[in-house]
Amino acid sequence: MFKKVLIANRGEIALRINRACHELGVATVAIFSDADRGSLHVRHADEAFCVGPGPAVRSYLNVPNIISAALISGCDAIHPGYGFLAENARFAEIAADHGLTFIGPKPSVINAMGDKATAKRLMSEAGIPTTPGSGIVASVEEARAVGERIGYPILLKATAGGGGKGMRAVASPDELPTFYATAQAEAEASFKDGRMYVEKLIVNPRHVEVQVLADDHGGVVHLGERDCSVQKPSHQKLIEEAPAPALDPAVRAKLHDVATTAARAVGYTNAGTLEFLVAGDDVYFMEMNTRIQVEHPVTELIYGVDLVKEQIRVAAGEALGFSQDDLHPHGHAIEVRVNAEDPLNNFAGGAGTLTTVVFPGGPGIRVDTHVYSGATVPPFYDSMIAKIIAVGRTRESAILRMERALGETRIEGVKTTVEFCGELLRDPEFRAGGIGVGWLPAFLARRAQPV
Amino acid sequence: MTEDVIATRTRALAGALVEGGFARLRVRDGETEIELRRVPRALPAAAPPPMAADSVTAAEPATPAPERRAEVVSSDVVGIVRLPRPVLTEGLEFDGDRELAVVETLGIRNSVRSRGGGRISAVFVTEGQPVEYGQPLFAIER
Repeated sequence: MFKKVLIANRGEIALRINRACHELGVATVAIFSDADRGSLHVRHADEAFCVGPGPAVRSYLNVPNIISAALISGCDAIHPGYGFLAENARFAEIAADHGLTFIGPKPSVINAMGDKATAKRLMSEAGIPTTPGSGIVASVEEARAVGERIGYPILLKATAGGGGKGMRAVASPDELPTFYATAQAEAEASFKDGRMYVEKLIVNPRHVEVQVLADDHGGVVHLGERDCSVQKPSHQKLIEEAPAPALDPAVRAKLHDVATTAARAVGYTNAGTLEFLVAGDDVYFMEMNTRIQVEHPVTELIYGVDLVKEQIRVAAGEALGFSQDDLHPHGHAIEVRVNAEDPLNNFAGGAGTLTTVVFPGGPGIRVDTHVYSGATVPPFYDSMIAKIIAVGRTRESAILRMERALGETRIEGVKTTVEFCGELLRDPEFRAGGIGVGWLPAFLARRAQPV
Repeated sequence: MTEDVIATRTRALAGALVEGGFARLRVRDGETEIELRRVPRALPAAAPPPMAADSVTAAEPATPAPERRAEVVSSDVVGIVRLPRPVLTEGLEFDGDRELAVVETLGIRNSVRSRGGGRISAVFVTEGQPVEYGQPLFAIER
């Protein structure tokens, strides 16, 4: 096992990793930017290094300073969390070059899966169903030809994409030139990689993803699926749950089977997530995320497995302590993302001081957060300030518990998604289960109409 | 710079101000300029120093020390400090731009320069010391 781990992240996930390390008896080193000096992740770590000013490019993405902090403090491993450098194969290689274990899959696998077009081709070769579409298209004309072939609507996607950036739905050939230009510019700005590919747009599919864990000794298991269909118009997830409600048992079994097959096919190790689009009985591989995900707690709560600890153990060379037959989910878990943003104003992000912060508690409630009363929400980063997770014996009891928990939550100083998510939970369609990714945008459109 | 950054920066600078024995400290970073001044604390009138009665000369009102403009030079990187030999000492005066130290990051030597002449009024680090981003290294009076 490692002696000391550098946590190359901020916010709730840095704190989450810190907790896993401490429970394993591993010392921790936090990094922080000038803007995060007062964050809880800095306070809870055994050591902490300021690695740069507020803007992430100069701090949380500052590879030399981060690696230097790890070496100076005598770390033997780096946990990248999610976002920032988590899916940066070059960073993983640099860490390895300096004798630091990167807690994640091999750089070659990160590279292959990070390039969405390559990932799709590899999966297709392994017999995994993928959406009809193209490889990299070199121009808008090539994209147009693909559109002709597979039929509209189509989806333009950046091969380096993620979090909805560099992605556009195109309803007709007329829209293509404008959307191609804007999506490519966005991809270039966000990922320094403007290469695009085209996919058939599956209308209002469900977003269902499967958690996998794999060790260096050939052990590969899945930990069931999560439904992340409640997505903002920007495709960012807002509410996630496990297991996926109202899902045909045969489809569920197919997803689990396909996920483990895919993980084996690409030689995957550590924790990863395969994202699928589900439309009726059809499942399509969308992408693989080679990191821990924001919504991992819903899986942890129903499987009783600490995914972050497993990541660390696997990276340290240990074998998984369980096989597929040992894994049985119990009950239902749901997560609400508490973002410092205004849901009624296009989810515009806010920054400032949190004058009051009161989180819920009681049976079946877990809160992962780095903020507290008096803490500052800097303007530089993702707007998520907390995750509230509720678990119950049934979906209904988990939702009721979440409604109760959201009612206990008081956050003042910035606008948040708390109340709005409560409203979503009360919606009869959501309550029935099985909604698609188009549900939240339609909900917002309905809500905006005068009564 | 956000208020939070200013607040956290100010704390570090206040330490440098006291340690360096300056009356005034001004740091500029891009558009933001922070200036700190030390206000001498007035002695309570009812409690004169015990020696006052024996002093031969009349107590003169303390003339304020001439205001010195000091700048703190801090590290831009996370690394290990390498000081030049002979070691820079407090009080050393120099002209023009010179290398004050090197901060080694992953084998790369990042030069820390004075950006102009002055007098070194404080050295906050020692040879081989690990430093983080923004950590004060020297104070220079201009």
